Amino acid sequence: MTTAHAVPAEALEGVHAGDRLGRLARIALYVGIAGLAIGACLGWSGGETEMRHFWFSYLVGFTFLLTIGMGTLLFTMLQHVVGAHWSVVVRRIAELTMANFPLLALMFLPLLVPLMDGSGSLWPWAGHYEGGDPGHAALLEHKRPFLNVPFFLLRIGIYFGVWIFLARRFLQMSLDQDATDSPDPTVRARKWSAPSIIVFAFALSFGAFDLLMSLNPSWFSTIFGVYIFAGSFIANCAWLILCARWLQNRNLLTTQVTVEHYHDLGKFLFAFIFFWGYIGFSQFLIIWYANLPEETMWYKDRLTPAWEMWSWFIVFGHFALPFAGILSRHVKRSRVGLLVLASYALLMHWIDMYWVIMPNMNAPSLGGPADGGTNPFGLMEIVVSVGLCGLFVSALARRAAKHPLLPVKDPLLGDSLAFENF
Amino acid sequence: MTAARAYGMLAAFKTVGEILAAAKAVKAAGFTKWDCHTPFPVHGLDKAMGVRMTKLPWIVLCFGVTGLSFAIWLQWWTNAVDYPFLISGKPMWSIPANVPVMFELTVLFSALSTFFGMWMLNRLPRWYHPLFSVPSFRRATSDRFFIAIEAGDPLYQSETVRSLLEAQGAESIEAVDEPVTQSDWPPKIKYVAWAATGLLMLPPAFIVQAKFSTSDTPRFHLVHDMDHQPKFKAQAASSLFADGRAMRMPIDGTVARGELFEDEAFNTGMVDGEYLTDFPLPVDEFLIERGRERFNIYCTVCHGVSGLGDGMVNQRAQEIISPLWVPPFNLHADTVTIQPPGQIFQTITKGVRNMPGYAQQIPPRDRWAIALYVKALQRSQAGSLEDVPPQHRDSIR
Repeated sequence: MTTAHAVPAEALEGVHAGDRLGRLARIALYVGIAGLAIGACLGWSGGETEMRHFWFSYLVGFTFLLTIGMGTLLFTMLQHVVGAHWSVVVRRIAELTMANFPLLALMFLPLLVPLMDGSGSLWPWAGHYEGGDPGHAALLEHKRPFLNVPFFLLRIGIYFGVWIFLARRFLQMSLDQDATDSPDPTVRARKWSAPSIIVFAFALSFGAFDLLMSLNPSWFSTIFGVYIFAGSFIANCAWLILCARWLQNRNLLTTQVTVEHYHDLGKFLFAFIFFWGYIGFSQFLIIWYANLPEETMWYKDRLTPAWEMWSWFIVFGHFALPFAGILSRHVKRSRVGLLVLASYALLMHWIDMYWVIMPNMNAPSLGGPADGGTNPFGLMEIVVSVGLCGLFVSALARRAAKHPLLPVKDPLLGDSLAFENF
Repeated sequence: MTAARAYGMLAAFKTVGEILAAAKAVKAAGFTKWDCHTPFPVHGLDKAMGVRMTKLPWIVLCFGVTGLSFAIWLQWWTNAVDYPFLISGKPMWSIPANVPVMFELTVLFSALSTFFGMWMLNRLPRWYHPLFSVPSFRRATSDRFFIAIEAGDPLYQSETVRSLLEAQGAESIEAVDEPVTQSDWPPKIKYVAWAATGLLMLPPAFIVQAKFSTSDTPRFHLVHDMDHQPKFKAQAASSLFADGRAMRMPIDGTVARGELFEDEAFNTGMVDGEYLTDFPLPVDEFLIERGRERFNIYCTVCHGVSGLGDGMVNQRAQEIISPLWVPPFNLHADTVTIQPPGQIFQTITKGVRNMPGYAQQIPPRDRWAIALYVKALQRSQAGSLEDVPPQHRDSIR
């Protein structure tokens, strides 16, 4: 592990946020509590239907944040496993974000209500659901040994165990490096990274199966975990770009993160927007071609009048438009261009998660109305997601105030600071 | 190759810092035909030299879009226009099925245009460069940084160029000549290339000749023992047996397995030259269900699920207006409905008009089951309320 460039002294200025993030942490906390309170009131006062709407909205917001967490965790491990030099200046942002996994585990706890109250209002298999179509009962019966509340809880526990353990471990190794001139902690992180990624991949894929795919328990798609992985990495790239820009607007990391690092994050974002389209289409093509009822129903649910426009918007808005938008090198190197596209990509990722989760609420294949009912989008989804994001950001800001925003003694920091694209 | 003219001036520098400064100075002096040669990519050198961004991405974009359009056109033309072929009941021209090829051709065109566009923009391949004749230039791949200013530059004057490079602290400065008679390809290579090109034309020439001529010599057998196997084909003659036939008759008094047809009525559908008017086996629900299953497997492709003669093969033949196609019968036509079960059985067994016999595929019992199902189908189309069991009449009235 050699480095060609020394770290200039001025590179260590503007890396301590101190009390500059206090206001953000407070405001985000208030927004979080207010959003969740309004959402819960809306759900409570609207009776059973609105309460279901609340739980689905909660799962959307929760999944959105979970994918950011998984994306940043994977990003950190990935930089270690390949020994990346360029990314050191933005890695701490990812490390601080992924340390929110204990909070995400806390956020999961309210979902135990719709899971354990026997209504099956969120995950149908947790209630008395027998399959919307008579043929589905046999499929569901086949899955019973896997899809039951105790085993589900055990698995969720394992996933969060893996995520929390890895996130804390990698953040701790990075913080250890801050305190010593010896490269040992970074060497250790590199050794840990490869096996950790394998374990992480299983947690991500099965987590996606359990939390999202089982919302329609007779449906199955083995590529679904990869689809969520692609979305997670889009979320990670957009998140790092937005966080770095936000910090730079507050005179933090101003000289350290340059247009070259943004360019590379932009390349990553571009690559994974395409990868997402590739995986999403791979899932669709196989199902479309085979034309088996128990597989096509997932897409048919999303082509009902209530969801058809959303589906087209996903194809063009999540893939075609940003693909063309971020194709050019000039956009990736433009401050405004990249900021707009990163914000847009993050918003589209939320809409993608919404599109995966929400149609299950009134899905024809789950016994809902044949036209999918009316599209539920409204205040509820917005306040609940904003509320959850508020809590997430608040915890992140509190943590970011305590630690340097740069791995100040990372052996590769000099190279990262001097990094240039050709 | 003795006569030479000036190619330009080559200066060597020891460090990255020196060549960056020198490049800035050369650019500031207004030179346009010059280049730097370094052992590794030097950050900032492009900017110092004032090299503009390459046009290559635009070329690649154009070719990528061309590849995409070509893929769409190709699949539309082949699948929907030139040779429409129905696959899995999907539309003739179906976008999702075309996306993989659209993706591949976009990538292929982009990748090839990147590679060859780079060659074209760099004027490659180039076999010789005057700088290669300078011995010290070899260090461009190890530890020296070079600037070469070409004599073709409008501002080029050897004294001013030399003093400019000297002022930048060049370690050594050499004037470089290039041969006036542009070295042609060496004669040997030239002849070999001509010969190879000529030889390459031979296979296509033979193909063209074979395509437009008639040959009366027997074909040439490359793999002799596969073309001439020591075996007899069906109906072939043989000198081994007294009767001269390679195929042998069954031994007297034996019946091949599965070919014992004792019951004439059951196996032919006829008794004393008359068609059977009833079924020679017990008719029950199981038999008619079996008949429906076999009918749907063997008959519906032409006759259609309800026997109207509208099966998928017929629809397809109508669509491409096949001149050879004889449309299958509507099984509900009067000429068919009056046929007794024995005649229907025999039609299935031996075929009629264009319809082949199905005796080889369908055992007799199943043929009777199909005949029974056909009768039931005909009954269903011509049924009256009295045919329905009394307890169900209310539900369909």
